Amino acid sequence: MAEIHFEGVSKVYGDGTRAVNDLDLAIGEGEFMVFVGPSGCGKTTALRMVAGLEEITDGTILIGDRVMNHVSPKDRDIAMVFQNYALYPHMTVEQNLAFGLKLHKISKPEIARRVHEAAAALNLDQHLQRKPKALSGGQRQRVALGRAIVREPAVFLMDEPLSNLDAALRVQTRGEILTLQKRLGTTTIYVTHDQVEAMTMGDRIAVMREGVLQQQGTPEELYTRPVNTFVATFIGSPAMNVVPAPVLKLGSDSSLVGFRPEHIRVGPALNGSVGFNAGVEVVEYLGDEQLAHLRLGELSLVAKLPVADHVEPGTAAAFAVSREALLFFAVDTGFLTDPPS
Amino acid sequence: MTVLPFRRKQRAYEARQQGLVLDDDWHRPSVKWGLGTAHVLLLVLLVIVGLGPILWLFKSAITTTQDTIVSPMALFPHGIAWSNLTDAWNNLDVGLYLKNTVVVAIGSWISAIFIATTGAYALSVLQPRFGKVIMAALLTTLFVPAVVLLVPLYVEVVDPPFIHHSFAGNYFAIWLPESANAFNVVLMKRFFDNLPREIFEAARIDGCGPFRLFFNIVIPMSRPILGVVSIFAILASFKDYLWPLLVLGDTNANLQTVAVHLPQIEPFTPLGDFLAALALSALVPIVGFLIFQRGFLRGTGLSGALKG
Ligand SMILES: Nc1ncnc2c1ncn2[C@@H]1O[C@H](COP(=O)(O)OP(=O)(O)OP(=O)(O)O)[C@@H](O)[C@H]1O
Ligand SMILES: [Mg+2]
Repeated sequence: MAEIHFEGVSKVYGDGTRAVNDLDLAIGEGEFMVFVGPSGCGKTTALRMVAGLEEITDGTILIGDRVMNHVSPKDRDIAMVFQNYALYPHMTVEQNLAFGLKLHKISKPEIARRVHEAAAALNLDQHLQRKPKALSGGQRQRVALGRAIVREPAVFLMDEPLSNLDAALRVQTRGEILTLQKRLGTTTIYVTHDQVEAMTMGDRIAVMREGVLQQQGTPEELYTRPVNTFVATFIGSPAMNVVPAPVLKLGSDSSLVGFRPEHIRVGPALNGSVGFNAGVEVVEYLGDEQLAHLRLGELSLVAKLPVADHVEPGTAAAFAVSREALLFFAVDTGFLTDPPS
Repeated sequence: MTVLPFRRKQRAYEARQQGLVLDDDWHRPSVKWGLGTAHVLLLVLLVIVGLGPILWLFKSAITTTQDTIVSPMALFPHGIAWSNLTDAWNNLDVGLYLKNTVVVAIGSWISAIFIATTGAYALSVLQPRFGKVIMAALLTTLFVPAVVLLVPLYVEVVDPPFIHHSFAGNYFAIWLPESANAFNVVLMKRFFDNLPREIFEAARIDGCGPFRLFFNIVIPMSRPILGVVSIFAILASFKDYLWPLLVLGDTNANLQTVAVHLPQIEPFTPLGDFLAALALSALVPIVGFLIFQRGFLRGTGLSGALKG
């Protein structure tokens, strides 16, 4: 078990691509940290630098209190789960699980104990003598997970381990990973581009964009206090509505105002809220709630409403948002600002 | 009617639709008879050209010299002469020369595999700084005809740098140059290039250094290409004539391979015995291939390691 520190870490690839830029981040012992961001933002690169698979161009990475910059992957006490599993095709499941332990000179009975424990935990007991090609996708995924668990490393690194599973299996495996991680208490970095996965799994989340860390914090902090419009619109589904402040007759041209879909309600503005009239374009009925797509001049908004509210597509209606739910951002930088007084 | 024949017909129909000649065209008599005859002729021709000489050799190996000379295509007009085989084995020392050939082939095979795998591993996986330059140099050697290299290579083997002790008359004279085969290295490198890097990375994290990675991961994943290179190397050394003739010479004739020895004794040997000797020598690679082809050429099921 160990903490991980990124201190001013940058990665510039041979072709000049700056994949990670000046990353400062501390990951606590036993913490489940999720790296999230759109495709190509440098999540995988950051993870691979921790693994030792990618050289660090600038800055330092520490695991525990050891500087890792020039330590080879096998001496970092880490285990990694790859997006496409990367199982050894010529070995049985049992050999796949035991391989790393053998190389680390663990005693035979101890290897057998760990392998069977992991196999039991991951429901793989029946398949120990099979080769990977005779397994289903979900089973392969669990073998990849098992290979990491048996090592009992200080750190788990996972790069989109669920993206090749179908939706139902993904939700189930998500739960299994979380349960395992909590039970083992192993510091974990988990990479995903799916913000729902990030929100549901992470103790803390680091949002990245084009190699730059935008914000890190608990899911709640990111949801309620996003530092800029990128995080505000990236986290949460459907995304936060962000409109120029004058549209709601608030503040000046230099401000944007953001509010979550669930903060819109139907009806005229009461005390402490702002109101607007918008056309209802489409209504998506979800059973427990409904999503109304609204048009306000040039702008599109989404409102998440109780199913009891009657909104007719093709009509116009009055809507309101509580002032407390409003977030203000600067137009030029996108950063969160204080509300205009 | 059951569904099955229909399905089969359907599949055959689809298969034909993918050919150059459409299914509908097959119903026209001119196409049907013309192309049909051509198919049969082609098949017969291929069998005659491919299998004919081998069958003839085995037939003649057990035919008397007289019969082979008088009517080469006849089938045993005066009975089968099994004695050819024993004569060839006892009088012509086919056994000894076959053993020599096997020793040469095994040595060449080991050195070819050793250099091809380690060289390709370095170029493809370890990727040294000047790997690209070395690879380019390697590729250029493919454009130099082997005959051109005969003399320089001979000089090298007779007076090797640093060692200054001639390898002539020694099997190392064949084994060492056999390893320097750019084609095998390139073939092997191409295969290694296509092995998924994530598996290597997983192995490195699991604790593999470069040697373990090579022996425990790369080599076991490369069985198909190892089979191909093995066949190339073994067959090449089995049938090589010029180089063994040069470096093993006939000074110490007991070292020579069958491929060199048999042509040398041909003028002084009864035809029946000679053909029997040829058949015996040909038997070794044929049987070897039949035994190993399954293990070598079948894919080894690398699928399943990665998600498509
Ligand atoms: N080996 C490489 N050489 C050059 N550029 C690279 C290399 N690997 C990645 N990059 C670039 O670095 C940037 C970050 O890549 P990275 O793989 O870290 O993104 P990611 O956040 O993991 O994206 P995804 O969600 O698509 O996996 C991208 O612009 C990518 O094109
Ligand atoms: Mg990635």
